[in-house]
This record gives sequence, structure tokens and C-alpha cells, in this order.
Amino acid sequence: MTSTWLRLITHRFVLIPLCIGLTAAAWNGYVSLHDGGLVRGVVLGPGGAPVAGAKVSMMEKNFTTNSDRGSTRTRADGSFEFTNNRSHNILLRAEMDGVGRSDQITLRLYFRSQNVTLDAPLTIKPGAPKNG
Amino acid sequence: MTANAHRPRRATARRKHHWSLHAGLLAVSFFMLVPFYWVLKTSLTGENIFVYPPKLLLNDPHPFYYVDVWYLIPFARYLANSAIVSVLAIVANVVFNAMAAYALTKHFRGRGLIITLLLSCMMIPFQTTIVPAYLITGKLGLLNSYLGMALPTFSTIVCIFVYKASFDAVPKSLIDAARIDGLSELQVIMKIMIPLSASAVATNVILSFIWSWNNFMWPLIIVRDPDMQTLPLGLSRFLTYHENTTGALYAFCVMVLLPGILLFLMAQREFIQGLTSGATKG
Repeated sequence: MTSTWLRLITHRFVLIPLCIGLTAAAWNGYVSLHDGGLVRGVVLGPGGAPVAGAKVSMMEKNFTTNSDRGSTRTRADGSFEFTNNRSHNILLRAEMDGVGRSDQITLRLYFRSQNVTLDAPLTIKPGAPKNG
Repeated sequence: MTANAHRPRRATARRKHHWSLHAGLLAVSFFMLVPFYWVLKTSLTGENIFVYPPKLLLNDPHPFYYVDVWYLIPFARYLANSAIVSVLAIVANVVFNAMAAYALTKHFRGRGLIITLLLSCMMIPFQTTIVPAYLITGKLGLLNSYLGMALPTFSTIVCIFVYKASFDAVPKSLIDAARIDGLSELQVIMKIMIPLSASAVATNVILSFIWSWNNFMWPLIIVRDPDMQTLPLGLSRFLTYHENTTGALYAFCVMVLLPGILLFLMAQREFIQGLTSGATKG
């Protein structure tokens, strides 16, 4: 009886779909634990010091359009946080009145609303910004 | 003694031939697999196919084009539609083709004519029967439905003959014994013929799945609701809506191809057995 079940489960027509199903379930479990929509980072000034009160804008990138998804201000230590990201492909840009703007960076995520912390800070540069 | 002396030399020659054959097959496989590799590479890098000089190796691969396809178009919906239509086609093919093939193993008046008719029908392209097929589907009230999409693929002549070849190999005495035990003709098919024809069933499953999965023209004609579109229609729609999306387009292609390739790899042994059974007699 046990050997019949074992033979059935280890048959490739059962085993491969089972493995795919288990992988999908595990991935969905991981996604549900990490999809809070948090985007964190730090903004630095032209001299490399954290900038307080800089405006950080977030846009959702589509195949053809970019949609505005709000903005936030940096704290005293230059850090910022978005808690409402619902996309998997976003653009971020920081700007400070009288100082300048950072390059626009594209952040591609593995799933929608993935919690993420920027590896590199957004650095505000005086002069014309670059879009990327 | 002489024969023994010749044996190692013959074995070496055979081994050499063996390796040259494999080298040739590898070369042919390489040329056949390059397009697939190119599709996979482009889906992971987004590199345009016309870039010069062409790069053979992956440069900075990432899975984000797959993520784009999953979220920016209703891929899951297309996948579910294709899966439903394919399952309907597979079940119908496995059952109806077995019935037709079983009938063709019997000796009755006009059998030769029916076989000739079926074989000659294989030469009629589907495009020429689209209008009557559409009218019949419309009269049945099946336009824009899963059943309507699967209906023309419910039975395929090639698959009937795959079954027939397999059924012909079943000993007549076994069928007679089943009949003596009180089995009806339908029970003979379900309990004797189909279990003894695993390779023919696998061939039917694979062929009907691939034909149904890749079917473009028929769903294009009868589907009106975007929510009812299958993967090939979704791919066509994607091409129309988005122009500069090389990576996502190729990722979409890979995602469409993957289930068919997976099914074939799982059942390739039975598939080949099913196609070759009945090819030789004696």
C-alpha cells in the first residue's frame, strides 16, 4: 500500500506538478509576508551630508506612461519612507528648493508592493538633473 | 580465432561511429536550439535582436520583464482561459478519438471508405471550413465561450489513427474474453483498450494540448470579450498595444511556450512510443 502511494507520488506526472505547486505556494507565502509597500532610503546633499526636508517624489512606471504616486519629505537624518507603494516598477527623485535635484532612479521590484530599502542614497546635485 | 581478433577492431569502429554520430546530432541540436536560446536571452536582458555586434552570452540578466508581463497585462486571465480550453480539448480528444478508433478496428461494410474519407479530410485546411464552423458554433449558441473555442479541436484525425494503431495491437482474444465477462463496447474501450494504450493516450494528450494551446485563428474569430482571450490572442494584443517592449515581449513568448515544453518533456517517452506503435508489423 505504502509502496503504491510512493510510486504514485514519485511518478513524474505527479512529482513535477507537485514541485511546481509547492514552489508557487512558497513564493506566494513569501510575497504575502513582504508586500507592505514600504520604500525606504536616504537623501544626501551635494557635500555628502544628509538633507532634512527634501522632497522625494515617487512615480509608477508603466509600459507607456509614468503616473504620479505622491511625495514625502526627508527627516532630520535624511531618511525617507513611503508606505503606500502598490507597484513593482517605480521612479524616485529627490529635490530641495535652492539646492537642486537628484537623478531620477528606476526601482524594479520582484513583486508588487515589495518592501525595499535603497542600496544607494539619492544624492542631490546642483544644476540640471538626469532622468534614468 | 580470426573472428575474435576482428571483434575489438569492430567495437572500436562502432564507438568511433557512435561519437561522430553524437557530434553531428549535437551540431544539429545547436542550430535548432539557438532561436530558443535567443528568445530566452532576450527575455532576460531586453537586448534588441538587431543589436550589432550580436552578443551570444547573457549580459546583466534579470527577471523583471517577466514581472512586467505578469502585472501589466492580464496574463493570469489569459493563462486560465488557455488552460480551460486545452483541458476541454484534451478530455474530448482522449475519449472521442478512442471511440472512433475502436470503431475502425472492427470489420464492417464501408470501413475502407470511411478510412479513405478521414484520410482525405486531413488534406482540407481548417481555413476553408471556418465559415461553416462559425455558423454551426453560432447556431449552437457557443460563440464567445470556452466550449465554442474548444469544439473544433474535440477530435483530430491524426490522433484517431494513433489510437487505431495501438488498438490494432491488442489481441482479439482479450476483447472476446472481456465480452464473455459481460463488458459492453464502451466498457471494453474504457477498461481494456485505453489502459493498454498508455502511449497512444500520451500522444493524444500532447498533440491535442499543443494544437489547442497554440490555436490562434479560431479563438480570434469567435471571441469578442477581452476577458475570454487565450494566450496567443493576448500575445497579439500585447504586440498591438505596446511597441517598444522587446524584453517583455520575449518574456511573454517564453511564458506561453513553457507549459507545452514542460508537458512534452514529461511525456516524451510515451509520445514517441505512441507515434511509432503500429509503424512496424510482425
